[in-house]
Amino acid sequence: MLADSLLLGLDQFLTPLTLMLTIVGVIFGLVVGALPGLGPLMGVVLMLPFAVDMPPVSAMGFLIAIGVGGSCGGSISAILLRIPGTPLAAATLFDGYPLAQKGRAADAIGIAISASALGGLFGGMVLILTAPLLADFASNFAPPEYAMLALTGLIAIAVVSDGSLLKGLMTGALGLLIATIGTDEFSTGFRFTFGQYELLNGLHIVAIVVGIFAISEMAQQVHGRNLNEKPTVKAVRPGFRTVILTLRHWKNLLRSSTIGAAFGALPGVGGTISTFASYAVAKAFSKPEEGYGEGAEGGIVATESANNSTVGGALVPTLALGIPGEAASAVLIGAMLILGFFPGPALFADQPEIAGGIFMVYLFSNVSLLLVGILMTPIFVWVLRLKKSYLIPVVLLLCAIGTFALQSSVFDLWVMMGFGLVGIVLRAAGYPLAPLVIGVILGPLLENNLRRSLLISREGYWIFLDRPVSTILVVVNVLLIVGAIYWTIRQRRAKRSQTAA
Amino acid sequence: MTIKKTHAEWLVALIFVAVVALVFQQAATDMVEQGIASGGPYDNAAAYPKTIALILGGMVALQLGVQIIRRRAPADADTRAVQIRTLGRPALMVLIFAVYLGCLSPLGYHIATPIMLAALMALCGIRNAIAIVVPAVLISLAFAFAFEALLKIVLPGGFLHLNIAW
Repeated sequence: MLADSLLLGLDQFLTPLTLMLTIVGVIFGLVVGALPGLGPLMGVVLMLPFAVDMPPVSAMGFLIAIGVGGSCGGSISAILLRIPGTPLAAATLFDGYPLAQKGRAADAIGIAISASALGGLFGGMVLILTAPLLADFASNFAPPEYAMLALTGLIAIAVVSDGSLLKGLMTGALGLLIATIGTDEFSTGFRFTFGQYELLNGLHIVAIVVGIFAISEMAQQVHGRNLNEKPTVKAVRPGFRTVILTLRHWKNLLRSSTIGAAFGALPGVGGTISTFASYAVAKAFSKPEEGYGEGAEGGIVATESANNSTVGGALVPTLALGIPGEAASAVLIGAMLILGFFPGPALFADQPEIAGGIFMVYLFSNVSLLLVGILMTPIFVWVLRLKKSYLIPVVLLLCAIGTFALQSSVFDLWVMMGFGLVGIVLRAAGYPLAPLVIGVILGPLLENNLRRSLLISREGYWIFLDRPVSTILVVVNVLLIVGAIYWTIRQRRAKRSQTAA
Repeated sequence: MTIKKTHAEWLVALIFVAVVALVFQQAATDMVEQGIASGGPYDNAAAYPKTIALILGGMVALQLGVQIIRRRAPADADTRAVQIRTLGRPALMVLIFAVYLGCLSPLGYHIATPIMLAALMALCGIRNAIAIVVPAVLISLAFAFAFEALLKIVLPGGFLHLNIAW
């Protein structure tokens, strides 16, 4: 089954358009990753409107490559400026910047890119080996399991998001409500359309995502900063020798990639936690003479291999179950739905060529990352000198025209603007934004399967406790919420006793 | 004058209350008129949003309780104040962008976009007129080329029907 899927996928993958878009995606990802304040999620969000008109595998290759490049790009500014381009690169600071200060900036960047690419390839192998198995297991799922799975995905994201559990759950619930706008699939009645024909099919997910993330991020960027600053960075040119330097830490590389892939596969955990965890583990296993925190090559290998391996891990539940592990995966699911295919077991059974194509583009994007990243580093370093005062208007224009291009609809622009305002207010009040988008994505899956479950049930909601997998998921959901409440109370008490002391 | 995170929290709580109220109002009026607010899981399209709204309402009440308790507690790091005047730039950015979206159809892309870009660049602190006008026009043309010539998307022409035949 796997071999067939890969062979069929090869056909989809080996087209000039897919290959070119994957390389372009990696380059764009590295640029947005390197620029502090943007990052892989923003890169995927900004390019989403363009991807939806492309052939499925080419579009997914483009978007996944942006995620791959973006996860690595943040290390460039972390190493050269001591400013992580993305939170994913925060742990790379510990050893990347000191190594650059020792006059080995090129080595530090080269190791970061090599470790990212090799970690990403490891994540790709995990994806290829585990996603079909998980999809096969999930093919026996019925509506109760799917409904509970959607709920688990949403609760997990809310639990681990920044801010309080309650706030995460509230934005998630808001997302679920937003997903109900439009024509009801069962009764064909209209819900919350207010007589507007533009609302009959619901709100366009791209307009929501662009508004919530990009517009609110730009408003945050212009707030109280000198936007005309032009950082002084020296030109660096790493060589392929850094691949050898990275491979000298092969044990660390394998261990950190495993941590990254495992954390990525867990809903809500994501790259930032995996990089810090793998750094801590690598440091614990290191010898004192390696000098972790003072420019150790192993420190960069640990964090960078983990953060790119996380991307592969995160794609496992995304492709096999249709449950996004984090916000970028949710955007990818949104793209898949627009492109006309549904992630989950049906993807592997009915469209193995798409699943295989996605595996191929993911592996190729990591190979491209190694080549393009090392060869084009001087360009990414030059990008760091771009002033925010030019960048912000360009990003806003991209948001507007990209969203307009979806359906040539001015209405979509106002939806984007409205969600931009919602995003600004939610950010200001400390509400996480990712659960809202994941709520919008998972909303139809949850509602349709919940209603189907109740239709086939003779005992109402007890159907969710009648089936073993569904029961386990109910228990997991309860444990997640109870655990998060316990953790919050413990943290509050610790904080209070600290203040008192 | 300052604004605190708690002010934003109250505003968000208010928005959530309005959303919950809207769900129940629609379920009681529009959905009843359509005949989709009663019956079993197949016919009742109002039950699911009402359930979610009910849960959301409960969480809003809890959050309001937390906010009220926190008001009585001594100020902590979360209640750092932001000067309202520092919010001028983000507010202006949103305003310029909203005006741009409003003008895009009547004025057309080729008139509205360079003006919006120039206004945003000036807002971001660029003071040299040439450093504003030249990039604004060039960026606008580059985007138009990418969308119209490469992606074959017709951008709004406005009252002058301005579209470049690339």
